[in-house]
Amino acid sequence: MVGSLGGYDMQFDFFTWFGGLWDWIYGILLWFWAIIKWLGIWILDIIDGIWILASIPENFMFLFRAIIMPGLIFLLLALIFTIWFTRKIWARIQDRRGPTHLGKYGGYQLFADAIKLMGKEIIIPDKAKAWLYRILPSLLLVIVLIPFAFIPWDPYWNIMGPPGAAYGDLSVSLVLVFALLTAVPVFSLLIGWVTGSKYSLIGGFRAANNQFAAEIPMVISSVGPAMLAGSLSLFSIVAAQTSIWYIVLLPINFATFMVASIASVGTFPFDAPVADSEIIFGWRTELSGIYFTVIYFAEFAEQMLYSALMVSLFLGGFNGLPFLPGIVNFIIKWLVVYFIFTVVTSSFYRLRQDQIVHLCWKYLIPLSILNVVLVMFAMAYLPWLVPLVVGG
Amino acid sequence: MSDTPGSASTVARAVINKYPKIESKPLDGNKVELVVPIEKIRDVVAMLDEEISDALPESMFGVDLTENKYELIYIFWSHLGKMLIQLRVQLEGETPEIESVADIFPGLEWHERETHELFGIGFKNHPDLRPLLLPEELEGQFPLRKSFKTDRSRMDETGLPKPKPRPAPRGESS
Amino acid sequence: MSPDILDESCVIWFGPQHVSAHGWAAKLTLVGDYIVECDPNAGYFHRSAEKCLEFRNFRQGSMILERICMMEAFLGEYPYIAAVEKIADLEVPERAKIMRTIMMEFNRIHSYQFWFGQFAGELGLFAMLLWPWVDREYSLDAFEQLTGSRHTVSYATPGGVKYDFTPKFLSKMDIALSRCRNRMPLFDDMLAGSPTFRLRAEGVGQYTAKQALKWGLSGPNIKACGIPMDLRKDDPDPNLAYDMIDWEVPTIHNEDHPGECDAFDRLHQRFKEIETSLDIIEKLLPLLPEGPIIDPKARGKANRLPEGEGYGRVEGARGITTVWLKTMEKAQTPWRAKIRGPCFASYYSLKHIVPGARFADFPAIFGSLDPYPGWWDR
Repeated sequence: MVGSLGGYDMQFDFFTWFGGLWDWIYGILLWFWAIIKWLGIWILDIIDGIWILASIPENFMFLFRAIIMPGLIFLLLALIFTIWFTRKIWARIQDRRGPTHLGKYGGYQLFADAIKLMGKEIIIPDKAKAWLYRILPSLLLVIVLIPFAFIPWDPYWNIMGPPGAAYGDLSVSLVLVFALLTAVPVFSLLIGWVTGSKYSLIGGFRAANNQFAAEIPMVISSVGPAMLAGSLSLFSIVAAQTSIWYIVLLPINFATFMVASIASVGTFPFDAPVADSEIIFGWRTELSGIYFTVIYFAEFAEQMLYSALMVSLFLGGFNGLPFLPGIVNFIIKWLVVYFIFTVVTSSFYRLRQDQIVHLCWKYLIPLSILNVVLVMFAMAYLPWLVPLVVGG
Repeated sequence: MSDTPGSASTVARAVINKYPKIESKPLDGNKVELVVPIEKIRDVVAMLDEEISDALPESMFGVDLTENKYELIYIFWSHLGKMLIQLRVQLEGETPEIESVADIFPGLEWHERETHELFGIGFKNHPDLRPLLLPEELEGQFPLRKSFKTDRSRMDETGLPKPKPRPAPRGESS
Repeated sequence: MSPDILDESCVIWFGPQHVSAHGWAAKLTLVGDYIVECDPNAGYFHRSAEKCLEFRNFRQGSMILERICMMEAFLGEYPYIAAVEKIADLEVPERAKIMRTIMMEFNRIHSYQFWFGQFAGELGLFAMLLWPWVDREYSLDAFEQLTGSRHTVSYATPGGVKYDFTPKFLSKMDIALSRCRNRMPLFDDMLAGSPTFRLRAEGVGQYTAKQALKWGLSGPNIKACGIPMDLRKDDPDPNLAYDMIDWEVPTIHNEDHPGECDAFDRLHQRFKEIETSLDIIEKLLPLLPEGPIIDPKARGKANRLPEGEGYGRVEGARGITTVWLKTMEKAQTPWRAKIRGPCFASYYSLKHIVPGARFADFPAIFGSLDPYPGWWDR
């Protein structure tokens, strides 16, 4: 019996306990410190690992290409240029000038518009599903920007190299691009439903209808170049067009691809989902502020993407003048195709939804199948055509 | 029952032959006015529909002659006969009533709605007497009556603060 | 469609806040893509013009009238002045008659140029919205040169007109009209010759002439059915110059569906109307005599009118536009003024024409009828 307090017997020795208290607290602190040290070392290890990976030359160059050129930064700058270009062309067709005040020829107008729109109040309607309303537009923009990774801008300085190289193009990248693009009208339908107004719901249904009408001719038209090149990889299709551009053999497919892609984007004359005078702004009606900006960019990014696809599939991509770097060839052709795209879209009245479906199913599908079948027979019975077409 | 009516006076004479209590008054040109009693309005309008094959219901409106007396004017125009027929109906009372002719000439349906909400004239058997032009606050107030004043006597209804006279600027008479 | 399909119907307000509904609304009942019921709704534009006219004197009243529809401002103010002249029994000098008529036709051309732009723009081609409106700017320049104001010209007054034609105005009018005439083939190509336009406008919004007469439609909406009903010829106003020259009422005769018209016919009808108006102006300009433009005693007579009722009618750009005035003895203001606008009947006919059409045809239908809520609500 250690220590008694005034004659009473104690089971528990207070002073021993008090003496050991500090050791106990000290032990706990040491335990926390060990966890923190472990965490810190773990984080530093991860950063170390990433750094080692990134410093391998191929990986570093891939990151550089994916983010700077021809990756994200290049795309955003190209998008800004595209929107300015489109607005100027539309203006000239409509007998006016377009943006002229900000910057020479109105170049900074888009920055001003973006800043203004980001500062606007975001009004979420009562019946809208708020969290989906916030997430879906940005998701749409991301899905539209991802296929740009697979577009072969240049034979060497490209995000994806030739198939088989390190970071090579997927052997089915064309299919992947179409898979991502098919998701876009689904998102339009979702946004139309989620923003909670009858007009946007009607717009969403019309967007789904547009997809139902237009995706099939588009995919059939792209089967032509894939068949000629013998591969489904975008890079291989472009690399196979060294001797002859496929538009010479597949002119009808080029035309049907263009019409079907206009319908897929949902711009005039197939812009029934966003018909200005009927359903106010279709599935985009209730979006405001930053979400509207994102959707606005996504529409133009989609148009850019389809023009780039047309250049890769039909116009030879980076093949062209031999003394120019591949990417300059691509951009020149892309500007021409985009100009034609914009002028064609501004010249027709808006078709009604059922007329769009009639046009796509009754005219575009037979024409695209016709051209594919003709080329099939040509490849089978004209033996001198095959090496010309598959290329080197 | 003619297909190409001759002139306004012919039609007027035909109507008066059938309903002798109607008075007529020729206006200048090929136009005639018929003063129709209230109960005969449907018969006269139906007869006009028969006599004139392409009658256009041009207009129908009310006039407020004070002391609870109203007049309803119907105007019909015919292109083939180049004639204009004007019908005048005298009404009396706080809320006078008359039968609707909207089923004979559908174009008068909205004219009757408008007259009802602006003057308070009731139309029996009208398919749809909702107010056409007026906002909810003015329903039942019959704005085009002369008793509906638009001067400061109704300032309280607007809910605006009363105007306070401003002090005259110094050194000048207001 | 079976009756219980209405259970799946959805009511949508083609409301006042809509890109193509400029100040009116319609409650549409939709089943799928088809409109089953259309209930046009008014009152958003009601400015109680008729009550205001009871407090304005006879020279001020026409200013209210011209603001009801700005596109055809002169055609809107003229019936009031015609009614005042009928009650006061005023004579108008011949120079003023011809000037009034020229101005009316010029205003009519301007109204149709506006309509082309609006109709084509509503159907989706923004370029065709702006091209006719460029020509409209030249017409508005000419109006401004003459009267100082672009739209609300307030050109006529009881007894004559206010401003004389100056050489500058005549040259500006010549520029505007020759530009209009030269661009007509281009618009014909862009509208009637465009295959997508034909897809949108043919077979849309059909009605027969008999139905249209019962609803009260007039003007180009009826002439497109083949009936040459035009107040300028049927009931020529003695204070205008339509009976001084030889001209024909523009009508469309369609062999495919005689007695009926659809949106495409109404487009052609308005092309013909512009041609007729250009023709009338061309024939009237050489006939312009020298002389006074207003009778000086007329101003005094228009201050206080005797008791009477006057009915002024004019063939406006959209149909029969009339003003019925009643005055009491020695009155300075009218006792009752009733304005009849042509679009009152156009909106009513929507109730009958639209059911059965697809939703996307709704702007095409009401665009082709050329309605303006000002004439409905006043």
